[in-house]
Amino acid sequence: MDWVLFMRIALAAVLVIGIATPSHADGPTAEQSAFFETKVRPLLSKRCYSCHSTSAKKSKGGLKLDSRESILKGGDSGPAVDLGKPARSLLLKAVKYDGLEMPPTGKLSVDEIEVLSKWVEMGVPWPETAVKPVVGLEVGVLTPERLKHWAFQPLQGTDPPIRTEADRKRQPIDRFIDSGLAVKGLKPGPAADRRTLIRRANLDLIGLPPNPEEVEAFVLDDSADAYPKLIEKLLASLHYGERWGRHWLDVARFSDGHGSFLDPAPLPEAWRYRDWVVKALNDDLPYDQFLKSQIAGDLIGDGKEVVATGFLAVGPTYQSDGGDPESVAKSKAETLDDRVDTVTRGLLALTVSCARCHDHKFDPIPQADYYSFAAVFNNTKTVDRSSATSEELKLVVEHKKSLDAVTAKLKNLSKDTEPERRKELESEVAKLKASAPPRVHAVEDAGSADMPLALRGDPLKPGVIIPRRFLAALAGPKPPTWTKGSGRLQLADAIASPTNSLTPRVMVNRVWQHHFGRPLVATPGNFGLLGEKPSHPQLLDWLSAKFVADGWSLKKLHRLIMLSDTYQRSSQFDAASFRIDGDNRYLWRMAPQRLEVEAWRDTILAVTGELDRTFGGASVHDILTSPRRTLYAAVSRNGDKLPADEFLRLFDFPSMRATVSERTSSTVPQQSLFLMNSPFMAARGKAFTARLLREAKTSDARIDRAYALLYGRTATADERETATAFLSAGKEAEMWPRYAQALLGSYELMQSR
Amino acid sequence: MKFPAHESAVRAALAAPSRRQLLRHLGAGFGTLGLTAVLADAGLLSAAEAPASLSPLAPKAPHFAPKAKRIIQLFMPGGPSQVDTFDYKPALAKNSGQRPSLVDRKSLRNTKGGLMPSPFGFKQYGKCGKWVSEIFPHVAGCVDDICFVHSMHTDTPEHASAILMMNLGHLQPTRPSMGSWLVYGLGSENRNLPGFVAMSPRAQPRGTLSNWGSSFLPGAYAGTYVNISQMKPDAVVAHLKNTGLKPDAQRQQVDLLAKLNRLHLERSEKDAQLEASIESMELAFRMQTAVPEVFDTSGETKNTLELYGPGEFAKGCLLARRMVEQGVRVVQLSHSIDGYDIAWDTGHDDIIKGHALLAKACDQGIAALLTDLKQRGLLDETLVLWGGEFGRAPTSEGAKGRDHDHYGFTVWMAGGGVKPGTNYGATDEFGLSATENRVHVRDLHATILHLMGLDHEKLTYRYSGRDYRLTDVAGSVVKGVLK
Repeated sequence: MDWVLFMRIALAAVLVIGIATPSHADGPTAEQSAFFETKVRPLLSKRCYSCHSTSAKKSKGGLKLDSRESILKGGDSGPAVDLGKPARSLLLKAVKYDGLEMPPTGKLSVDEIEVLSKWVEMGVPWPETAVKPVVGLEVGVLTPERLKHWAFQPLQGTDPPIRTEADRKRQPIDRFIDSGLAVKGLKPGPAADRRTLIRRANLDLIGLPPNPEEVEAFVLDDSADAYPKLIEKLLASLHYGERWGRHWLDVARFSDGHGSFLDPAPLPEAWRYRDWVVKALNDDLPYDQFLKSQIAGDLIGDGKEVVATGFLAVGPTYQSDGGDPESVAKSKAETLDDRVDTVTRGLLALTVSCARCHDHKFDPIPQADYYSFAAVFNNTKTVDRSSATSEELKLVVEHKKSLDAVTAKLKNLSKDTEPERRKELESEVAKLKASAPPRVHAVEDAGSADMPLALRGDPLKPGVIIPRRFLAALAGPKPPTWTKGSGRLQLADAIASPTNSLTPRVMVNRVWQHHFGRPLVATPGNFGLLGEKPSHPQLLDWLSAKFVADGWSLKKLHRLIMLSDTYQRSSQFDAASFRIDGDNRYLWRMAPQRLEVEAWRDTILAVTGELDRTFGGASVHDILTSPRRTLYAAVSRNGDKLPADEFLRLFDFPSMRATVSERTSSTVPQQSLFLMNSPFMAARGKAFTARLLREAKTSDARIDRAYALLYGRTATADERETATAFLSAGKEAEMWPRYAQALLGSYELMQSR
Repeated sequence: MKFPAHESAVRAALAAPSRRQLLRHLGAGFGTLGLTAVLADAGLLSAAEAPASLSPLAPKAPHFAPKAKRIIQLFMPGGPSQVDTFDYKPALAKNSGQRPSLVDRKSLRNTKGGLMPSPFGFKQYGKCGKWVSEIFPHVAGCVDDICFVHSMHTDTPEHASAILMMNLGHLQPTRPSMGSWLVYGLGSENRNLPGFVAMSPRAQPRGTLSNWGSSFLPGAYAGTYVNISQMKPDAVVAHLKNTGLKPDAQRQQVDLLAKLNRLHLERSEKDAQLEASIESMELAFRMQTAVPEVFDTSGETKNTLELYGPGEFAKGCLLARRMVEQGVRVVQLSHSIDGYDIAWDTGHDDIIKGHALLAKACDQGIAALLTDLKQRGLLDETLVLWGGEFGRAPTSEGAKGRDHDHYGFTVWMAGGGVKPGTNYGATDEFGLSATENRVHVRDLHATILHLMGLDHEKLTYRYSGRDYRLTDVAGSVVKGVLK
């Protein structure tokens, strides 16, 4: 299909709609306008605007060619057009390579020079429209080069390679990976030992280490299905949703509110969305439905998944500080940007937000795409509402009536009389209160309007109205417009569509990233032209197609990956392989991974025996004084309002201001101070000591028990010697807690290998 | 993905894999030997850059020779009135009560008052003859070291967004602060202390963390906030003190952990992040003494303490000097009295009461800081910036107050490469709008970066698909203020 042609036609249509009647009597005629729009503007846009426009990084020679005024004003060399002597205009001399040579990249064609000459002769007619600088309507960004980019292609159905007869029986993942290794002259490393494997699988799937008994049983079980059984057990564990739910909550930039001065609201019910995510993952809710519920749960079926729209509602909603109308408009624009960015970067790995002020600099994303999406969220409002469906809402009204009635009766009772009756009514009130449907932070439709493009991203300078529809690069030549309500349901359908190749690719890549510590596309939040190319493009597409064919089941995807030989490889270092592939891009081994703060802290509590495994519920105000899993910590969007913020951020918990695709993994002295001096670590040292004293009798046996609990292995001779030397330097009651705290602060405990 | 050389270096320092790769090319077996020593021995790092190379805060070469190595920002949130402080407008008295068209511009509260002369007396000071209000008698004594910029303007008349514009270059709290950009660009000269310290007495300026946060820049570049009223070193750096162990017992425990980590390192493989964490434990141990030292002013002479005078803001000024002396790159000291987060916003009702009180609370400390830096030969390499997020209108709000003014306001700079004893730019004859040599906040940012040896167009960080800068897509260096 001829994309450029298609977009020219489509956008010309948009433009025609946007052209107002000339406001001045001496404005261009309809014929002149048409000539300008069809011939001149595309030419200027294509050949001149990269250097001479408002959207150019720097207008060369101080000259801008994107408005009549700036052409007449000219640049450093004087006016570009002389209306008195049009033929001698600098612009025409330059394009004819007479004195100046413009464009420097190559002379215009004879026809093109003719077009410009004719236009200058006419007196540079420039239709007065609302879209004066045409930024955002340029067809330039939907070029064949950009559209050819791998991420915009349909999934390529390549069969897993077969290099030897034995390959036929092997897992497709291993066939792709091993053939990649062979091309590079790499050899796959050995399989991991059982102790390493069970610890790896546990930390990976449920974020908690196996206990020593589980490790020993697994080591001794030499049946063929011991490992598959382990995976099944872990996938069935409710802790799975807690672990992988947190990965998703990073994408959803989830917090309990408390942003800065401009978005300060607490979100006391945000945890209900968090619990929904955890449950959805535990239930293996198909990923397409998982997404649809989060974008439009209130509009699907009877609306019972409304809590899922917390995905949108927990984002920042910026206010203004004093009601200055311009500031209000800018705050609103910033809120919309959060929604557009979270949905596009989080779900599609496209940086649509880069097209807020101008067409995307690198990707085939015109500015109009941004406002197609922004309008959907502009028609959506954030509400605190009951999580009940409309049917249930009727019951809620009834419920409120009966509650009011009973409360009134209770009031009317005199204090001393009828104690029995009083008790009865009180319990009725309590029961009614407990059965009230919970409140949730959710979204609702609030309109169905298209939105004007904001010139240079400034909401105070509206351009043409942009129809709501899916991204031009993905939607094909005739994108249906979204006109039903806000358009959210249609947006959700477009994103979670099996024909959209980006959605499954992005999620498969994220799943791979968390299993291997390195995604197949090294920029999981940017699949655009500036992102990295996939290390294994065929595997990515094969897995994505399989993911969709398997009913978008995440658990099937985990199973497939974890049962591969590739996943079960040892993390052992190999100098020869390292020389060829130091970054382990081709997966000749499993790379050791540093645990996220959640898994690390949960592991410490599991090792000391203090972990409270209660599921769900309201966020815990200060997680450092609680034995609950770290997932349940209340976190503020600003990272400075709640007690746990500082601790979490110290260990690379990201800022929840925007969707997060990757966490950093830093090593700073403040972390060491926490390990050495924090009350939390000191208390864990004591608790661990108490457990060791309880569970083993001799010093030697306690060291053994410690190593089994911590790392699922025995202490080496060196470690035992070091421990004994340390412990014997003082009183047992003093030295053991210090020793235990040091063990809990060890780097090995922060790692999965 | 290609990054500018500067950003690549930072990313490499932060990302273990690429550094690990470098290490592994060296082959096996450096055991307990320091990583940096190995790199230096292998000729992969010069000896000079080796010691700090692992830290994202290691000093980095600027784009060109800097005029200033450090900056102290004296931030005046709330909007100090220019015509009552440093922008003397005698025309106000002559036209008192009138509302000429020149000043008939929309203000935040749509006030319609006439021109209100400053209730404060002005006098000329110094060799340069600068007119200064009577509420800043001490700063007035330093005018020959100061470059006043009278033609500032900003985007909004609201506190929160204008404060963010001044400190982040953006109206919403979604970008890194200027201080974090500077530390990202230049690193810190003292690894035992934070590279960027933000301080205020009692209240944090509106916008709180965002004013010194690092947003999408790595967390190591975020400012560390200190509440001067508390002044506990442990509040500066969390968990600085061990309450349970004596120093020698702690030393033993730290050695134990280092030994266990080294055994793990030897047994498994070379792991740069693990090596870094061993180094970092040592550094943490040293910080326990370095940080309290900075905050301990008991060693200052009587003369110095008297120079600064009493009060929390003055204490902040003294700490600021101690910090830049120790190589802290950026100090942001925000003014506040009575726990108000936009202290200077006391001008709506009564300019006399509010402004006189606020000026008194900071005047002596500011002058002392300039004098002290100069005496110690530090002023040449230290840039001092004074100013709020906007100013106040020359017209009246109510009987005695002034509404916000983002059309024109004054900031001043001293030291670090700015022309001393000068004025730059001007407002109209009544002081409402910047008219001559207008300087937007982003131009100020470009200029500050320039003075610190950084090109504001080259100091970029790739995030979410594009290269961000402090000055977004605007800003020009104000050449007229450079020495």
